[in-house]
Amino acid sequence: MLELRNITAGYDTGTVLHDVTLVVPDNAVVALLGPNGAGKTTLLRVASGLLRSRSGQMILDGVDVTGQQPFQLARRGVCHVPEGRGVFAALSVADNLRLQASARVDRAAVDEAASVFPRLGERRSQRAGTLSGGEQQMLALSHAYVGDPSYVLLDEVSMGLAPKIIDEIFDYLRQLAGQGISQLLVEQYVSRALELADYVYILNRGRITFAGEPQEISSETVLRSYLGALAS
Amino acid sequence: MWGVPSVNDLGPVIVTGISDGAVYAICALGLVLTYKTSGVFNFAHGAVAAASAYVFYQFRDRDHMPWGLAAVLALLVVGVIGGLLLERMSYALAEAPTVMRVVATVGLLVGLDSLLTAIYGASTIAFKNFLPQSPTRVGGVNIAASDFITLALAIVATVGLYLFFKRSRLGVAMQAVVDDPDLLSMQGISPVVVRRLAWTIGSCFASVSGMLLAPEIGINVSYLILLIIVAYGAAAIGLFSNLPLTFAGGIIIGVGINVLGQELSGSHSIAILSLAPNLPFLVLFAVMLFVPSRLLIEQGVRRVRRLRPMPTFKPQTVGVSMACFALLAIIVPLVAPAYDINDYTAGLAFAVLFMSLALLTWTSGQISLCQMAFAAVGASTFGHALAAGFPWLLALLVAGLIAMPMGALVAIPAIRLSGIYLAIATFGFGILVERLFFTSFLMFGNQYAIRTPRPHLLGLNLTGDKGYYYVTLSLTALCCVLVLLVRRSRLGRLLRGLADSPTALAAHGANTTITRVFVFCISAFLAGIGGALLAGVTQSGSEATYDFSVSLAMIAVLAFCWRLPILSPFIAAFLYQVLQVYPFFRDATVLKYDGVAFGILAIGVAVWPGLGSIRSSGRAQERDQRGSPVLARSAPVHREKVLT
Ligand SMILES: Nc1ncnc2c1ncn2[C@@H]1O[C@H](COP(=O)(O)OP(=O)(O)OP(=O)(O)O)[C@@H](O)[C@H]1O
Ligand SMILES: [Mg+2]
Repeated sequence: MLELRNITAGYDTGTVLHDVTLVVPDNAVVALLGPNGAGKTTLLRVASGLLRSRSGQMILDGVDVTGQQPFQLARRGVCHVPEGRGVFAALSVADNLRLQASARVDRAAVDEAASVFPRLGERRSQRAGTLSGGEQQMLALSHAYVGDPSYVLLDEVSMGLAPKIIDEIFDYLRQLAGQGISQLLVEQYVSRALELADYVYILNRGRITFAGEPQEISSETVLRSYLGALAS
Repeated sequence: MWGVPSVNDLGPVIVTGISDGAVYAICALGLVLTYKTSGVFNFAHGAVAAASAYVFYQFRDRDHMPWGLAAVLALLVVGVIGGLLLERMSYALAEAPTVMRVVATVGLLVGLDSLLTAIYGASTIAFKNFLPQSPTRVGGVNIAASDFITLALAIVATVGLYLFFKRSRLGVAMQAVVDDPDLLSMQGISPVVVRRLAWTIGSCFASVSGMLLAPEIGINVSYLILLIIVAYGAAAIGLFSNLPLTFAGGIIIGVGINVLGQELSGSHSIAILSLAPNLPFLVLFAVMLFVPSRLLIEQGVRRVRRLRPMPTFKPQTVGVSMACFALLAIIVPLVAPAYDINDYTAGLAFAVLFMSLALLTWTSGQISLCQMAFAAVGASTFGHALAAGFPWLLALLVAGLIAMPMGALVAIPAIRLSGIYLAIATFGFGILVERLFFTSFLMFGNQYAIRTPRPHLLGLNLTGDKGYYYVTLSLTALCCVLVLLVRRSRLGRLLRGLADSPTALAAHGANTTITRVFVFCISAFLAGIGGALLAGVTQSGSEATYDFSVSLAMIAVLAFCWRLPILSPFIAAFLYQVLQVYPFFRDATVLKYDGVAFGILAIGVAVWPGLGSIRSSGRAQERDQRGSPVLARSAPVHREKVLT
């Protein structure tokens, strides 16, 4: 279980998250929704250690991991697929995959990734920066597979991609969920996210305004939270 | 003499060449490795090698340790501890603009140079061989055991590094860390560990090359720093990124220098004779001029923050402060002791030199490490023009004008290449001009100096110290006016645009090429005038005044004098040249360590902004440059999806 307790965090420019508490249970997909600027990315950055919280705790499988570095959390099974393209543009596909893989898998990583995204196998020696946007996102997403994590944090991985590729990506996420990998899913395609999710949180201006199961949520609830932010 | 020589003639030369080349290769590999992994091109790499040679000497010859132990200790102190310190420095520079990265490593070079000279003196220390010399006969050529060992070391280093980069996960991480340390960390690899390893290996390589060079050329900071610049040529062949090519580059240059030296030794022309030792520079320039610029990738600039623009002031503010300042300057010779006036005059000349540097560096964001070469051209031209009977003021103007085409020449790499490669090119250019032309009849001649008498103007005899002070003051004031005019003109606006974002400037339809060439020309003009005025202080321009190390020290000093177009140069000139008239600073110890102080201050200024919150802003920086992601994404799509 990944728990964020009373997290307050932000940047030099101001506090973004106010006293946020969120739980990602084992074997569960949690959707995190909210309007632009709500602090979703910031929350994921705290969860993967990229941003230190000002107060609050993070508990991972019963261990207090508050303040640990990203690489320490990654070794404990937290995998963050960041907003934008989380690949090293200058390295080849194969090298990217080797970095993603845990040290155990290392050299077999390419074949593992190719078993999920065959296209990556075909392009193993191509520089990641020259891949198409969709292929780059697949490469970034392979981390959730070859890295053998227990918790995957996904930040708008469907952004800017064609519907067909988005389908492919959601199939992949479903497959991960089937394997018992927990996910914290930030997604702009609300209905798709709700389909996949076991639990939903809505974040609005740095505060959790709704927590519950997808069935409890009406499209009005979502809409209100989004429009609330837009109106302000 | 150009016939095909037999192996027996060239054999020994080639062997020496390969052995020399192997040392250059080791040195260059370290340079490329650290640059590749941190984006910080270490201009002080040669100084690190020199430091290692001195430490080795200290332990072996002064403390009488066995050479093996001494070598290991030198490797530990300079390679490992030095490497770890350098890692801290490069970490703090991770988001610094290129100018500040150059300032930091040049500051380190200036500081180490001064420190080692202060401790061990400037003269060369003879250093006995430590590797076995017993020769083996191979194919009719005697090869010393030490040559074999050196070559074997270089091959092992290259193959080892190559395999490490290709085969091991850590090696792959080393190539990734410069682009996105946060992303690397998210893959479970500590970026700090990766960087430490890279800098430790890099510094150990520098350290080993320093120790290997010591018996060959003796221990002397300036020699070692110069010789290690040969490694730049090798690194250039490797395009500052490819390790096997860098190794090949080292060997090619080593063999090239030795074979050319042998082949051309019959020649009587100094120009031809100096071809061989200057081969690395020619290679460096060939790469800079002819290799497509897309192959010369500037590492680690993706995360760079912009240099804050220089402040601009209201004309009234400038006017009033300039008037006060001018008044002060006019009073100086009336109150200062007579024997100090020449130092103040030299200070004014340096102010002009610093102005030329500030114009280039702070206003247009381009870096020149060869300002003193322009100044030397100015000074020597000035001397020649006076000797030819030119009126004094005209001769001064000519001095500035002749320096201008030099500026245009240097601007060629500036047009093609950006940031760090321009700095490397100007560094090489400055040294090359010094080595090829300073003592030629075109410049200072074989007397190392040229007469530059002071003027009679408007019927006044101004050859006295006070008179010359006022001449220099008036001309310095004119230079200030020129700089202010440039800054307030359309060109000045273009330059500020250039410093801020060259691509944006080009996108607005401005011709950045002409802008770049122009600013280099104006800067060279000012430097030429400054150099000539400086020569007038002693009434004889001497080569040593214009040494390339002065260009480097100037960069370091200017860096910590804020970034004001006029005031900073004056402060810098005061600190650099005038301060020593005051008793405390005239003290021998203080004078000895002034370079150390300059270096430390320069490094401090460069790393200061990076000491705080690097961690919290890694990926955020990228988004700022892309513009707001909120705006970038199309809002309507977002709302539609919510409704479904
Ligand atoms: N590096 C940063 N420095 C300063 N402020 C930041 C930084 N990153 C984000 N912010 C601010 O924090 C707030 C929340 O940003 P965040 O990226 O977490 O929102 P988000 O919910 O992910 O939005 P989106 O849906 O647009 O991705 C915003 O107001 C943003 O301007
Ligand atoms: Mg976001």
